[in-house]
Amino acid sequence: MAIVLLPGLLATEAGGQQRFELDAATVGDALRSLPISDLVLDERGEVRSLVHVYVDGERAHDLAAPVVTKSRIRIVAAIAGG
Amino acid sequence: MGVLLLIGTRKGLFVLRGDDERRSFELEGPLLAGWQINHAVVDPRDGALYACANSWVYGGTVQRSTDLGKTWTRSEGLGLPEESGLKLASTWHLEPGHPSEPGTLWLGGEPAALFRSDDSGATWQVNDAVLGHETREKWTPGAGGLITHSITLDPDDPQRLWIGISAAGVFRTEDAGATWQPANVGTEACFLPEDRFPEVGQCVHKVLAHPGKPGRLWQQNHCGVYRSDDHGASWERLEGNGLPSGFGFGLALDPSDPDRAFVIPEEGAENRVTCDGRLGIYTTADAGASWELIVAAEPAWVAVLREGMSQDDEAVYVGAQSGHVYALRHGEVVVAAENLPPILSVEAAALQ
Repeated sequence: MAIVLLPGLLATEAGGQQRFELDAATVGDALRSLPISDLVLDERGEVRSLVHVYVDGERAHDLAAPVVTKSRIRIVAAIAGG
Repeated sequence: MGVLLLIGTRKGLFVLRGDDERRSFELEGPLLAGWQINHAVVDPRDGALYACANSWVYGGTVQRSTDLGKTWTRSEGLGLPEESGLKLASTWHLEPGHPSEPGTLWLGGEPAALFRSDDSGATWQVNDAVLGHETREKWTPGAGGLITHSITLDPDDPQRLWIGISAAGVFRTEDAGATWQPANVGTEACFLPEDRFPEVGQCVHKVLAHPGKPGRLWQQNHCGVYRSDDHGASWERLEGNGLPSGFGFGLALDPSDPDRAFVIPEEGAENRVTCDGRLGIYTTADAGASWELIVAAEPAWVAVLREGMSQDDEAVYVGAQSGHVYALRHGEVVVAAENLPPILSVEAAALQ
């Protein structure tokens, strides 16, 4: 059971829920299970270019990266815009 | 009857409720905080609100509300097919469909994409004829990207509509989007070194069909203001008769008078501010034969974007990048709101 933590805008879109506990074997499994998966992943199922994903504090560059029980997956918006 | 104004900004959606006289406005918002609202509209057929809500991180979305913005539902499955090799970058314009087609809406996006929904925006189907248009390789992006920003309907025929793409030009369909024909005869691509009247490649900034006079369209282009009286088959340029510049973005029509239109000229492509140090709304009452200046603010060096003007039977509404909203009624200008985030769009609807 992995834990996914969302930033504010995504949590709002998820009905106010900021923390999800999900059955997932990989980072991709976890992201695809979210109700806001379309905001994190594009129409090809790839992580949007300005979305960064961290697993237990380490940047995950691969959706196939494994997660283990109690892994904490944080979705972070890249610093951009104005 | 009062007016409901949807004000799309770089930082959320605002709602202005104006009284019968358009003198007093109440502000609500921001709704959809954190999102850039390129355009928002009320569907006059059922009162639902739709917004092109964009994020530089989370992409382009469509949001729908059936309770005047209290709650929103995001459209599903919005994207471009893999075989196109393209990805949807942003959403730009929502157009409720013909009154005879309840539940149908059209959506324009980047890169030069058109979508249709037949379930009130729950899901969208990409228009393959635009995505794979035979002239697409000749299209080039403008400052805002390669965007489908104008979608305007024929008042009588639900099979006929026009789209404007920067910088590809105006295209017309007469079979509800199955095929699209360029509609740029007479419009100049003044930025080209030669062949300034090509079939496609014009930089249309806004195109609107008059809702009460079939066949009449108006266009604010990168290179002039134009009118068509033959469903866009040809265009007549309308400058040299009171307009200080042909360059501009905003365009508004009087729904009850097909000969009246409103534009806001800017100095030019290299200096995109309103002309002569003031926010001047130029109006014609004779189909573009002559133009009259109405000063909304002075001194002012502002800009009004392509979705920044709207109108109803009572007034014209202008939202500037300065964050000010103006209402023009019977030649008098009222400041309806101040100091909003930079304004991207204004749409008026009847306040029930």
